Amino acid sequence: MGKPKILDLILRNLLSKPSTIEYPKKETVIEPDARGRHYADLNKCIGCSLCSIECPADAIKMTPIPPEYEAPKRNPRKLYPVINYLRCIYCYRCIAVCPTNAYVSTNEYRLATTETIYSDMLSLSTLPKKTG
Amino acid sequence: MAITKIIEIPYSLEIPVGPQHPALHEPLLLKVYADGEEVVKVEVYTGYNHRGIEKLAERNSFYRDIFIVGRVCGICNTVHANCYVRALEQILGIEPNNRAKYLRVLAMELERIHSHMLINAVMAEIIGFESLFMNIMLDRERIMKAKEILTGNRVLADYMMVGGVRRDINDEKKNKLLKLLNKTEERVKYYKQVFMEDDTILKRLVDVGIITKTDVLKYSLIGPPARASGVKIDARASDKYDAYDEVPFNVVVKKEGDSWARMILRWDEALESINMCKYILENLPSDGNPVPDEKRLPRRFPPGEAFTRVEAPRGELTYYVMSDGKPMPYRVKIRTPSFNNIINTANVYLGHSIADVPVILVSWDPCISCMERITVLDLTTGERKRMHLKELARGGRKWVSPRYSI
Repeated sequence: MGKPKILDLILRNLLSKPSTIEYPKKETVIEPDARGRHYADLNKCIGCSLCSIECPADAIKMTPIPPEYEAPKRNPRKLYPVINYLRCIYCYRCIAVCPTNAYVSTNEYRLATTETIYSDMLSLSTLPKKTG
Repeated sequence: MAITKIIEIPYSLEIPVGPQHPALHEPLLLKVYADGEEVVKVEVYTGYNHRGIEKLAERNSFYRDIFIVGRVCGICNTVHANCYVRALEQILGIEPNNRAKYLRVLAMELERIHSHMLINAVMAEIIGFESLFMNIMLDRERIMKAKEILTGNRVLADYMMVGGVRRDINDEKKNKLLKLLNKTEERVKYYKQVFMEDDTILKRLVDVGIITKTDVLKYSLIGPPARASGVKIDARASDKYDAYDEVPFNVVVKKEGDSWARMILRWDEALESINMCKYILENLPSDGNPVPDEKRLPRRFPPGEAFTRVEAPRGELTYYVMSDGKPMPYRVKIRTPSFNNIINTANVYLGHSIADVPVILVSWDPCISCMERITVLDLTTGERKRMHLKELARGGRKWVSPRYSI
C-alpha cells in the first residue's frame, strides 16, 4: 500500500490552527439577514390572528394584552401573538403574511435553554406601561 | 453449507419507507445472514419511524404544507418544497418569472453539492478514513454558508413559494456566493482525485456491490446508482422544469456499476452543479421581482390534480397533489428515491463479505442520520454480541477476519 494521498493535507492541518470555532468563547459569524428570533411590535400589530392561523408549526398563540399595558387603539380585540420559540421552525411565514408588517426579525440564533421560551416579554417591551 | 451465524444490523437511517409514507426519516433494519464471512441473505426491514407527514399534509392548508413537506428530509428540503410548490402552481395556473426559476435552480444545486459531499464524507468514515471525512465536512461548510447567504438558513431553506422564491439576492451576495463556489470547486476536484487514486479507497470500493444495467432497469433504481450503471436517467434533463432548460449541464453517466463508480459519479455531479451555480450567478435574468407578495397569493385552490417530479440528490422524487376545492389538499402522495434504491437492492449484498455491507449500503446514499449498533448471533453457541457498524466495517475482531481491515 502506497502513501495515503492526503498525507500532505493531514500534515498541513496538523501544523495549522484548528478549524473548529470555539463557540461560547468566540462568536459564530452569521449573516445579518439569517432567520433568527423574531417578535411582534405591538405598536403595529392589529391582533388579526393571521400569523397564528398560517403558522405551520402552531407555535403562535393569540393572547390578551395584560391590563397593566396600554393597548393601542388600532388593536380593538386587544390580542397579541406569543411565539413559542422552541416550537417555532423559523420559516418566517408569519412575517410574510402580516398585513401591517408588525414583526421585528433578528438574526439571534442562541436560543438553547432548558426552559420553554416565549416572545411575550420582547413583544410587551414595545408597549408603554400604564401610569398611575 | 450450514448457516452458523446470523448478524442483525439495526441501522439508524434517514430513509423513506412504507406503502403509505415513503418519504420519512426512518431507521432501517438490515438482517444479514452470513456463512462465515460471506453474506448469503439480506432482508430489509422498514417501518420503524412512521411520522405520517402525508396525513399531516391533508389536515393543513396548502400554504402550511409548503413548510411541512420541507421537513420530510433535512438534506433534500428544497427539492421537496420545489416539487410540491410546482404542483400547487400547476393547480393554480401560475408561472413564476425567469429570475425566480433561476434562483430555485441555484438553491437546489447548492443542496445537491452539499448532499453529495456529505455522502462521500460518510463513505470515507465508514471505511475508517476519518481524516478524509473531517476534511470533506470542513469544506462542505462553505456550501452551508452559501445556502445561508441565499436562503437565510444553513439547512432548512424554506425558500420556495407559490409564484417564486422567498428571497432575492443582490450583487454583494452574488459575489460572496461566487467566491465560496470557486473555493469549493478547487477542493471538490482535489477530493475527486483522492477518491480516484487513494489505495485505501480503491481497495474498499472497486468491484464492491456491482449492479448491472439490466438489474437497474429490472429493479427500477434511480438517481446516482442508476447513472453509475450506465442508465442515463435524470428528471432534470427529461422534464426540464424550472430553469433547467436554459442552464447548460451534462448528465454524468458511468459504466462500472460498483460502489466506487457511484461515489466518483457524485463528485462529478457536484462539479457539474458548481458550474451550473456559477452560470446562474453570472447570467441571472432580471425580469421582475422573484419574490411574490405572500399576502396577495390566491387563497382558494380550484379542484384539480397535479403530478410533478424533480431530480433530488438521491434520484427522482415525485409528488402527487389533489385538490377538491376545499382549503386543504385532498391527497399529497410523496415517493422518494431511496424508497426504490434501498428496498430493491437486497440482492446486491450477496456474495460479498460482511465488512462490505456498510460500504454497499452507504453507496446507495440512504440518508444516514446516525450509525447504530449491530447484533451478531452465533447459532452454534447462542451467543449474542453487539458492536458498532464502524467496527464491523473495519473487520469486526473475532467475528470477521482482519483481512478487510485497513
